[in-house]
Amino acid sequence: MKFLLVCGLAGLLGLLGAGLVGIWPRPEFPDPDPVAKAWGVANAVAAVVLGVRLWDTIFEVLVYVVAMVGVRFFLLGMRWQGELPPVAETPLLRRSADLLLGPILVFALYLAASGHLGPGGGFPAGAILGSALLLLALAKGVERLSAELYEPRLERLEYVAVVFLLFLGAVVLVLGVRTAAAFVVANLLVAVEVAIGAWAVLHRFASARGEV
Amino acid sequence: MEALSGLSLAVVLAALGLWVMVSRRNLVWKLLGLGVASGGSILFLVALSHRPGVRPPILGLGPGPAADPLPQALVLTAIVIRFATLALALALVILLTEHRHTQDARRLEEEE
Repeated sequence: MKFLLVCGLAGLLGLLGAGLVGIWPRPEFPDPDPVAKAWGVANAVAAVVLGVRLWDTIFEVLVYVVAMVGVRFFLLGMRWQGELPPVAETPLLRRSADLLLGPILVFALYLAASGHLGPGGGFPAGAILGSALLLLALAKGVERLSAELYEPRLERLEYVAVVFLLFLGAVVLVLGVRTAAAFVVANLLVAVEVAIGAWAVLHRFASARGEV
Repeated sequence: MEALSGLSLAVVLAALGLWVMVSRRNLVWKLLGLGVASGGSILFLVALSHRPGVRPPILGLGPGPAADPLPQALVLTAIVIRFATLALALALVILLTEHRHTQDARRLEEEE
């Protein structure tokens, strides 16, 4: 087993070395500007994610939702019974997390709403929102944060966002509508869905650990 | 040279993750290795889409050739999917630990 692994790693490094020497010519990049112009947006990455490869994105969102549902299903009713290590109280981290939450929220909303014009989009915005909630949970403890924030209604909002996203995808794919407004709405929906999914999974793991 | 260093770092990360996945026996360690290896592959795709002197693939950022937007679009979804599948795998490991009282892959195989 170890021998096979060493052979595989040596093969990987050999491939890298061969690539660096220049055995395979690297192809010219195609011009992405016509793609962006055809979909009426400035960011070619957004035009690819939500335009040319919209089917991929829709099914990717579905995979995300199914994985989140699976986490909820497997951790249902599971509770760690042992003793939990005490969480250190750090006023500095708690205060700075409170101060940072507002700017992070605004930044994530900005990224989601302007994803069709520049760098950004729904997925990074959702990841930023989710990591902001994770920062808050680390600083204040999941128990206090979930008393403030957690509601089963939030999880329902995630499914509503997915349904609206599917509806929007149908409008774009079947009717052939190509506007920047569809990109803005889709980015916001994806951000909401990813952030709520991340927060719900964090809450579910914490409750399986016996913290909530 | 910048792209080259990104590519070599990506391959080193993937090799590190694969090594951890095979050599460690704890399932959580294996999942950590999987995360590192997939981070290496993501970095590989991003580094491939960059060449010295290209501009970002956004309209109105000057003349010259633009970077390829396709690997970045792939990576965008791959990161989120990686998070979702890692969370699912960790939930499964928790379930396994609850039922079999071990996270050792070899012992789990022997008990079969």
